Amino acid sequence: MEALEMYTVDDRSDVYTEELKLNLGPQHPSTHGVLRVELSMDGEIITASRCDIGYLHRCAEKIGENVTYLQYTPYTDRMDYLASMNNNLAWSLTVEKLLGVEAPERAQWLRMICAELNRIASHLIAFGTYGIDIGANTPFFYAFRERESIMALLERPSGARMLYNYIQPGGLRRDVDENWVTDVLAFCDDFEKRWAEYNTLLSNNRIFIGRTANIGVIPQDVVYACGATGPVMRGSGIKWDLRRDVPYLKPYEEVDFDVPVGEGTHGTLGDCWDRYWVRMREMMESIRIIRQGCAALPGGEVMEKVMKKMYKTPLTPEAGEAYMRCENPRGELGFYVVAEGGTSPIRCRARAPSFCNLSLLDSLLPGTMIADAVAIIGSLDIVLGEVDR
Amino acid sequence: MNEQQLHDKLRATGLGGIGELESSARDPFVVVEASVLLEVMAFLRDDSETAMEMLHNVTAVQRETGFDVVYHLCSYSRHHSLTLKVIVAQPEGEAGDWEPAVPSVASVYPSANWHEREQWDLLGVRFNDHPDFRRIILPEEWIGHPLRKDYVYPSTFGEIPLELDAIPLYERDENDPPKPSEPRPAGTPLTQPPSEYSTRPDAGGRAPAPEKKGES
Amino acid sequence: MGLLNNTLPDNKLVGAVDTAVGWGRKSSVWPMTFGIACCAIEMMAVFAATFDLDRFGAGIPRATPRQSDLIIVPGTVNAKMAVRVRRLYDQMAEPRYVIAMGACVCGGGPYVKWGYNTVKGVHKIIPVDIFVPGCPPRPEALMDGILKLREKIGREAVFARRNEANTQMNAKYDAVS
Repeated sequence: MEALEMYTVDDRSDVYTEELKLNLGPQHPSTHGVLRVELSMDGEIITASRCDIGYLHRCAEKIGENVTYLQYTPYTDRMDYLASMNNNLAWSLTVEKLLGVEAPERAQWLRMICAELNRIASHLIAFGTYGIDIGANTPFFYAFRERESIMALLERPSGARMLYNYIQPGGLRRDVDENWVTDVLAFCDDFEKRWAEYNTLLSNNRIFIGRTANIGVIPQDVVYACGATGPVMRGSGIKWDLRRDVPYLKPYEEVDFDVPVGEGTHGTLGDCWDRYWVRMREMMESIRIIRQGCAALPGGEVMEKVMKKMYKTPLTPEAGEAYMRCENPRGELGFYVVAEGGTSPIRCRARAPSFCNLSLLDSLLPGTMIADAVAIIGSLDIVLGEVDR
Repeated sequence: MNEQQLHDKLRATGLGGIGELESSARDPFVVVEASVLLEVMAFLRDDSETAMEMLHNVTAVQRETGFDVVYHLCSYSRHHSLTLKVIVAQPEGEAGDWEPAVPSVASVYPSANWHEREQWDLLGVRFNDHPDFRRIILPEEWIGHPLRKDYVYPSTFGEIPLELDAIPLYERDENDPPKPSEPRPAGTPLTQPPSEYSTRPDAGGRAPAPEKKGES
Repeated sequence: MGLLNNTLPDNKLVGAVDTAVGWGRKSSVWPMTFGIACCAIEMMAVFAATFDLDRFGAGIPRATPRQSDLIIVPGTVNAKMAVRVRRLYDQMAEPRYVIAMGACVCGGGPYVKWGYNTVKGVHKIIPVDIFVPGCPPRPEALMDGILKLREKIGREAVFARRNEANTQMNAKYDAVS
């Protein structure tokens, strides 16, 4: 009898539902790695979510306290493995700030070109995998085709396909070959045509817009409160880019580029489509920067002579601390290094952009449909290697 | 505003416990007493001239005398930043597993939530009145805080072997279980000590390379 | 094939049937969609246009362990993840194969000394068929690993009696799981 009453209490609902716990991940194709989210579901509506991270914790901060400053560069590669150049750059700038040296001018320009090339490669992965998350398989193959050309370009000076270890404290490991700049410019010409293809494929696709517009809207105060940076911040309409506002490399002051921000083209300002579109336009801005960089590339050394001498023994900066922020494809990467005079720091903290962007998720998911959860996670574009370090 | 003006502004609020500005450091910082930390943070966030919208980073640093908790604040509308430090000295006679405690700033800046959980997880610094205080990266059953200088590396986690020379799970003989390994001294890494050819700092550093000809 | 597994005598007829079954098995090795770390990106590159793993019949990544024959472990396995890797492996149906991709899963890699929670090689958790070293391995290396795995599958005895060492190894693992 009791069961019957339960069904007849409310005339409007003819189906009895109860809360369902759903585990998303750690092995799930659309969590971009090994993220686990515990979802409480009411039918198809998410009522609560709890992120569980740490499935890729690789002790990077402990390692930083035990190896020398130069030996730590390859470990920064493996934090955000989609944007290794940018991570190398941030670490090198931090150590240079500790040592009080500066890279030679040619090295700075080459650093900028390499970092921007890697930014395009990283955004291409975001574009391709986001398509798969939403249900469009084709963009993935297009994105990887262009990414292979970038990897071939970066492999020539560094010798590695993905984890370059190319930018080092004091400059670059070696100079690029003589045809490299020509090939980079050829890639830029090619890429502009491809970019137009992507937009016909995905960006202006009605189904894609229907799946992403008005979904996962992040208001500006939440962006500040949760510490989100990068395309997530700019997608909500905040015009801030460290490259423009606090230039950490000299060439960024001299080149001319825009900072794309979300405009709410297809829905509310700060939705998934805005974040996606910010990334797409950032690729074109990077192409602009690379073109100007290649035109203005000065000659000279790529490694400070002082540093070359320093490398004969492990680097020993004076006691002190340095905090350096860099604009990575995913947001602001900060390294905080505390030295006490030895060959390795006593604390080596990485403020990972993905870590802060992901902390938004728990407040973003409740109230949305389960299918939109995948779109929202994809639009944050996290790399779990960086979230867990 | 530069750091000096920010510091003057902080001093003008009349809150006690705000130290001098260390302007000789690469990133000038202000040492703040833990008792006024929340008021200082709230002031920096709400004042229209300081307008620190974002808490960029929270770090705990273990030193010989105790712990530093470092807060990096940024203003996106005013283009300036400030570093705050809370120094917790280790009381005399406390053992190595002493857990320092500072107030949590998650009520002022929600972004501190995950950062503070991470510092607790890896360094064992307590943040009082935190909304959701538990480990974030390591499993709940993990013992110890690995970034402590005297951390002892575990050889297993549950039945998962963590040593290089451990016997694989599927090759174990149930009649002859592996003997528990001897406890290691504090801070010892998991594997063998470095060889004499190693360039690791604990191997005495790299031997100086021979001077090449033609290089200044 | 249940009851008949490795029970028939090792003669020419059974050998011919084994070869045919092995050819069928090796030509459709379906891997699982399973990415952990950096190596997963190179694994994705292998599936994508330039390298195109579909040429070897292994180009359809399956999202669930129950439908897949091959688990490529691409990236560092730590203490928290090891339990999950083990469970994923246990959920796969026989015959199942494992490729350890990258230095971390082959023996610790760069995290071997100071990694307090990394498992020094995934072979401590699950039995591995092919090791592909490199940090990360180039796509060609992974493709070579898959080709080697195809050879191995093709040689496997399905109905004929297996040799002694093979049987012992399997019995050991069956006892644990």
